[in-house]
Amino acid sequence: MQAIRFENVRFSYDASDAQTSAAEDFSSVGRFALDGVDFSVEEGEFVAVLGHNGSGKSTLARLTNGLLSPTEGKITVFDMDAADSKNLFEIRKSVGIVFQNPDNQTVASIVEDDVAFGPENIGLEREEIGARIAFALGAVGMEEFRHATPSRLSGGQKQRIAIAGVLALKPRIIILDEATAMLDPRGRKEVMEVVQRLNREENITVLFITHFPEEAMLADRAIVMHEGKIVMQGKPFEVLCEEEKLKKYSLSLPAPIKLCRALKKGGLEIEDTLSPQALAENIASATVRAGQVDENFIPARSLPLITDDQSGAVLARGVRYIYNERSPFETHALNGVDLEIKSGEFFGIIGYTGSGKSTFVQHLNALIKLPTAEKKYRPKKRKKGEAELPETVLKVAGYDLTDKNTDFKSVRKSVGMVFQYPEYQLFAETVFADVAFGLKNFSDTPLTEAETAAAVKEALETVGLDYERVKDRSPFELSGGQKRRVAIAGVIVTKPRILVLDEPAAGLDPLGKTEIMKLLHRIHGDWCKTVIVVSHDMDEIAENCTRAAIFSGGKVLAAGTPKQLFGNDAITAQAGLDIPYTAKVSLELLKRGIAIDSDYTRAEFTRGVLRAAKARGAKEGEADA
Amino acid sequence: MREVSFGQYYPSRSFVHRLDPRTKILFLIVYIAAIFTADTFWALGACALVFLAVVIFSGVPLTSLLKSVKGVLFLLLFTAVLNLFFYAGDEGAQPLFQWGIIEIWEGGVIFTAFLIVRLMLLVLGSAVLTLTTTPVSLTDGIESLLTPLKWVKFPVHELALIMSIALRFIPILTDETSRIMNAQKARGADFETGGLFKRVKAVVPVLIPLLISAFRRADELGDAMDARCYSGSKVRTKYKKLSFGWRDILAWLVGAALLAGVILLRIYLPAVL
Repeated sequence: MQAIRFENVRFSYDASDAQTSAAEDFSSVGRFALDGVDFSVEEGEFVAVLGHNGSGKSTLARLTNGLLSPTEGKITVFDMDAADSKNLFEIRKSVGIVFQNPDNQTVASIVEDDVAFGPENIGLEREEIGARIAFALGAVGMEEFRHATPSRLSGGQKQRIAIAGVLALKPRIIILDEATAMLDPRGRKEVMEVVQRLNREENITVLFITHFPEEAMLADRAIVMHEGKIVMQGKPFEVLCEEEKLKKYSLSLPAPIKLCRALKKGGLEIEDTLSPQALAENIASATVRAGQVDENFIPARSLPLITDDQSGAVLARGVRYIYNERSPFETHALNGVDLEIKSGEFFGIIGYTGSGKSTFVQHLNALIKLPTAEKKYRPKKRKKGEAELPETVLKVAGYDLTDKNTDFKSVRKSVGMVFQYPEYQLFAETVFADVAFGLKNFSDTPLTEAETAAAVKEALETVGLDYERVKDRSPFELSGGQKRRVAIAGVIVTKPRILVLDEPAAGLDPLGKTEIMKLLHRIHGDWCKTVIVVSHDMDEIAENCTRAAIFSGGKVLAAGTPKQLFGNDAITAQAGLDIPYTAKVSLELLKRGIAIDSDYTRAEFTRGVLRAAKARGAKEGEADA
Repeated sequence: MREVSFGQYYPSRSFVHRLDPRTKILFLIVYIAAIFTADTFWALGACALVFLAVVIFSGVPLTSLLKSVKGVLFLLLFTAVLNLFFYAGDEGAQPLFQWGIIEIWEGGVIFTAFLIVRLMLLVLGSAVLTLTTTPVSLTDGIESLLTPLKWVKFPVHELALIMSIALRFIPILTDETSRIMNAQKARGADFETGGLFKRVKAVVPVLIPLLISAFRRADELGDAMDARCYSGSKVRTKYKKLSFGWRDILAWLVGAALLAGVILLRIYLPAVL
């Protein structure tokens, strides 16, 4: 039976009475968000929908459960006309949507009350609602959180609650509208597992809208949308290997496929594959002929200049922090952090929520001050029998942050801080005014207009925006990626010596992620001596950082180069983290007797594999002779 | 700081915590009525006794209780002391103390003492309710008690939903406020120094992103509610049902005894005032 059917559907936000949805880019006004869409989904099918921002993916979701109605064409859901208001209730019961932001779809402060919301709305009896709650929470594996408060759960758990809230209505179709975009890798995995199980065991039809090619691979079918049209369709693996077409639609190959292609380019006969085991097997069994393999097409990696100069350095010894000391809510966020970051590094900070990394990072520009740096600090007398704590050291950019006489305004000027989703802190009427905000706050003498304009222009151009085009526009009219760039420009405009970024690529599509990382490399060195990035994404860390520290339980569990940290998975496993893809393949290769020397960046890993193959080819050539 | 629970809820599983929220709300009303009926120190003493019993059975430390009303306490003492000075004086009696135009009378002292005790009992008693009841069950209780108003077309259900969503978003928006404040502080914003005008101006870069975010959240929440078949209260049922237990019956008896006792004392003892 057909679950969803679109027949030549067109939709324009202008034509409908509905307001322009927040999910859509403003540039979509005045054209069709969906422009002749024809497709159908069979019951029980798992369909992934890909496409870059503004391609019409979200519109598709909203049309399917009647949040929007089509301007032209016909949509049927289980033989019901979705545009007919008589069917609205039935359609919404059979089509559940899980949205992107886990915080914005829960109505109640207690998990079970929130899951009950849907069943209450359709007027079920109390006993039935209770049964539905038990069923829904069981299906997403959250039974033990029935009486918990959503705001204290992790992102992945919140999103599972949102799925439970939809499941309680016993839908036959679930649409996930970028429901994993705001989650960390662990949360994404949790949600994916739940969705796959629901599809398999409850035979629920799934329409999975995502940016992540890895997730789309798990579907039965993948659909690519571009400018309101379906432009590609087929088996996910086949669709996602078409490099040229994907590029045309602003999408990119999955990282593992990129790796396969690079190896192929170097002369190894490697089939496209996703699993590290298969890739290792392929590499181990590939036949190598002398003179065929060549790694010279890979540009040499340029390493940043690391110096002993203090102005871009961080030194922490025994940093402790307790939230809500002496209250029932007392939490030890930092239990003695020891960390050294040198001037010139591109440093990664890794760790899960609650590991203390955010608290530590806020110490770096004195947003959280050490007790000894507070104005009213008086040394406390130690109680008898109390162990003496080792002296706390915190030196950042040449400033002593344990001293209350330090000029903290200068500290904040020297240490720039870009928070998660920085676009949400934009406030001014124009891009220019927003970027100039920090500049004005930090300058001791008022700047002339020409000076301000020059600095703002330089900052905006560095983040890759056209100064003349954006300076007088409202920051709120820009697209998501552009807003983030403006926010970063607003921090780097004062030329801080150290730049700290909390998850700078969070919520962006793969292309946006690569661009933001490129941008950070551009800033690193010229603008800011040291860049510190907080991230959950191990591949991102391996690809970009000179060194990294793993936080766990309010302490630094380990610090070192990606090579040291990811060489075996014992350290990362202790912190509950994954390792980069290249490291996984390396481990698999080691099992097959092939040792690859690399720092786990894709380029260096490729070079290592090709070199090893060349050596093997030479040896086999000798044996043949 | 997501770890801070808002409001004043003091987590525990005490006798008072486990009472039905409706019982607690009604008990507070009875208790307030008793305090206003009381016109002798004896009657106020009875109220104080009941109050102390409630505090003991609530498991809330007296220090936490006092801390929770610190702000109000100052205001209270200030008004009370003013009363001491403005007491009009008793006929045929001498003031206890006289200095210039300031006169303090015996009646004034008694009146002030009475007022302080009365107001203290009032404020502390209300604090016990918020300390022992989560905002969520308080909302449930209020909704249930207001149900009769549905007969006069008062939107009880909508009101309760609004309250519940507000409660749900308080921690999220508090979090967001501190995040935006930190972000602007990192860009050199200064919220702590300067005159009134400067401080008001400094709030703008926090207020605007916060408002925009609140509207965006509201918009998304609206869609999520629609998608989950929300259509007003017509067919809506309710999962949570409040139910009374033996503790509640005990509480009603104490409440009734208190009110009756205070009324009897008012009839049979001469008033202080």
